[in-house]
Amino acid sequence: MKSILMLCLVLLLATPAAKATEAKDIQQFTLENGMQILVLEDDSIPNANMYLFWKVGSRNEYPGITGLSHFFEHMMFNGSEKYGPKMFDRTMEAAGGANNAYTTENLTVYTDWFPADALELIFDLEADRIANLDINAEVVESERGVVASERSTGLENSNFRTLHEEVKGVAFRAHPYSWPVIGHDSDIANWTLEDLRQYHKTYYAPNNAVVVIAGAVKFDEVKKLARAYFEPIPAQPEPRNIHTKEPEQKGERRTYVHKESVTSPNLMMAFHIPPTGHQDYYALQMLGEILAKGNSSRLKQALVFEQKLATNVMSYIPESFDANLFYLYAIATPGTSAEALEQGLVEQIKLVIEQGVSEQELQKVKNSQLVSFYREMQTINGKANTIGTYQVYFGDYRELFDLPAELEKVSAADIQRVAKTYLRKANSTVGILDNKEDSYAQDR
Amino acid sequence: MHKIVNSLLALLALTTFSLSAAEFKLPAYEKLVLENGLTLYLMEQKEVPLIDAIVTVKAGAVQDEKAGQAEMTANALLLGSGELSRAEFEQHLDFVGANINAGGGMEASQVAASFASKDEDKVLKMLADALLHPVFDEQEIRAYQQRHLAALQQAQESPKAVIGNYFNALLFAEHPYATEQSGNIASVKTMQVTDLKGFYDKWYRPDNTAISIVGDFDSDKMISKIKALFGQWQGQTEDFVLPLAEVKADKARVLLVDKPDARESTYIIGGPGIARSNPDYVALQVINTILGGRFTSWLNDELRVNTGLTYGARSSFQPYQKGGSFSIYTFTQTDKTKEAIDLTLKTYARLWQQGIDKETLDSAKAYVKGQFPPKYETSGELAGLLSGMFIYGYDEAFINDFSDNVNALDVDKAKSLVGQYFPQQHLQMVVVGNAEALRPVVSEYGELIETKIDTQQISL
Repeated sequence: MKSILMLCLVLLLATPAAKATEAKDIQQFTLENGMQILVLEDDSIPNANMYLFWKVGSRNEYPGITGLSHFFEHMMFNGSEKYGPKMFDRTMEAAGGANNAYTTENLTVYTDWFPADALELIFDLEADRIANLDINAEVVESERGVVASERSTGLENSNFRTLHEEVKGVAFRAHPYSWPVIGHDSDIANWTLEDLRQYHKTYYAPNNAVVVIAGAVKFDEVKKLARAYFEPIPAQPEPRNIHTKEPEQKGERRTYVHKESVTSPNLMMAFHIPPTGHQDYYALQMLGEILAKGNSSRLKQALVFEQKLATNVMSYIPESFDANLFYLYAIATPGTSAEALEQGLVEQIKLVIEQGVSEQELQKVKNSQLVSFYREMQTINGKANTIGTYQVYFGDYRELFDLPAELEKVSAADIQRVAKTYLRKANSTVGILDNKEDSYAQDR
Repeated sequence: MHKIVNSLLALLALTTFSLSAAEFKLPAYEKLVLENGLTLYLMEQKEVPLIDAIVTVKAGAVQDEKAGQAEMTANALLLGSGELSRAEFEQHLDFVGANINAGGGMEASQVAASFASKDEDKVLKMLADALLHPVFDEQEIRAYQQRHLAALQQAQESPKAVIGNYFNALLFAEHPYATEQSGNIASVKTMQVTDLKGFYDKWYRPDNTAISIVGDFDSDKMISKIKALFGQWQGQTEDFVLPLAEVKADKARVLLVDKPDARESTYIIGGPGIARSNPDYVALQVINTILGGRFTSWLNDELRVNTGLTYGARSSFQPYQKGGSFSIYTFTQTDKTKEAIDLTLKTYARLWQQGIDKETLDSAKAYVKGQFPPKYETSGELAGLLSGMFIYGYDEAFINDFSDNVNALDVDKAKSLVGQYFPQQHLQMVVVGNAEALRPVVSEYGELIETKIDTQQISL
């Protein structure tokens, strides 16, 4: 689910109103071991949360241990020194808390949701598994089955996932974004306890984390607990630098996936783009929305309502430490060929490149991002996730509150320019998922 | 993702169920009935400049003459209304970042709008137009019908998207609760504009409707605006009496749904449940938390944590007005199906064989209370709660007394409720997967019925 989850985060590019959270409401400190902690006091409900953003994802893996970051996410629940196997969840739930986690190409994020009076217990539980995780051989074997099931049910129930995995594999031939976050089957089956131990020591180091706590808590209390529970955990050497850069693509790449039960073709197009934080980031995000957010967006209007080539279209741009992909995904109407859908989609891209977008479309994106921001800032969980995401990807959560100015800087000409720069055939990977086996014309 | 169980509780909260903590009370709200019979719920929430408004009409799939009628009627309201064509309607909304969604549920239909408070006048006018002045444009409806048919076909690609329909069909048989809420390919193909207009004329009446508005507004001004927009709406709804849901569970049955390219088996095991008005409703949710409602539940612990057979297993009650269902849901790779089903049944039997101890019960009580407040944090969630009051007739006591109701459950009461409500005999099972591989395995569990996942309609 990692890719879908990140969708909501790309929309949060707007300013708060007087009553909503402001940058000055967030307090920050760094422990001596390098762990960064952000705190937002918010008494709207008697609950609080803790979000731990670890800078480790599938980009930190290499062939042989693909999927290890995600597997590790699972292992973090399986027992440590003080709270043995199963006790992390049992202890938290008995105190009224719940938790979850997700892994992306760049991050592993742990989320704890609890009544505010359980705050100290949460610190104790987290500190124990960060400092003293017990990596047990028997538990690893059972968890391999769970992850295999997660991988399998994703491929069974989601065409997007099935196609996404293949498209990434073709679009990247050097960079670790090439493999799926969940990893290759053969790696899931074969990584070793030593791989896991090394990974934990390297990446679950306090200097590799950003922690956000939001809800009915007091800053001074959080600071006291953080010092007591997290500060004694020693820092570790900086993890290895991921220096691999994807070589420039010199021509279109294509992939085809056969799945018998697909009722109409699915099409995914992916274009290489720079990392989050690049000067073109906002223009690309806005282009993605102009193309596919809402029924009045260009691709939905043209392909779904006018030409009736697609039943649905979406765009997707992950936040990313390294250069990544701009995705367009469309599902054909019954009876429409993948070729016809692709041609229709390419024509719409061409229109943006040649004629640009209107001022009205530009304003619509800005309005929509503002409302999306408010929706996210309605809950303590939305706040924690958003603040942490900006801290991690932009190096400063305040960037979240500077965004109106950044958006204002983007002109219609910028949108046209980024479309022209990145949405080129030579920079594209096209994936098709269909129910017929790929075959030569004479075999059909 | 580490786990899937949390989404279950969110789902329950969205439909009818909620959990409470002692310190958490429902914020103040107003309920009034206009002269034309329209019910209005208002709750001011000023944290962010947003408003959520949900129109709820007591007309759902149970009133369908053709499966999918309620769902398609609700959607047709957004295909052009008042002065605006569908495309203009969507452009106006998208421009201000507003969302409007419509849908038909089992027992009610809803149109829900979420928007910035500064756009209140504009969006409420559009909502009123959608509700009171739909155009029912033939061409737009035909196009929507084609999109809906495609969506129904696409749903058949995903076992988890359709398995609930098969379970309802197996369990409720001739009762309207067996209806496929979104319709099926056969019924949707035959749907005419007159079917939608007829459904609208019959059920979309002010005395059958509530509007729940939560967010950043002034209640007095809002009442005037709603009166101006909806006050002239006239008409009365004829009585609708839904019979009690008699569940067909005289013997164990297995419905095997063939999906030839499946790599795993997705299954539901269950039986009759309870109505929403059941006085033991809250207590049963606590007990179900122990069985299959949280990560450390017995089912998830056995099937996921101890054996690695699945990514997640859960159980739930689905309550309606005149009955309901209880079900266990999970999935596993095809060649592990027998092992997983046997372990599911064995774990379920612990409810009677081993029972619930005090420590486990205390943990579940703390859990449901602790996880309650975040379920009613947003204006959309609160508007949904108020709409649920209209459909099912509960009031704020349900929230405000929730902790007391949870606290009142003890080990003896839990034991007696298990005996009374959890179906033990003649379990009904649906398995979606590769029939050739699964037939000999699953036929052991009851009378076998077979069908295919890509049928035009469910017919057992």
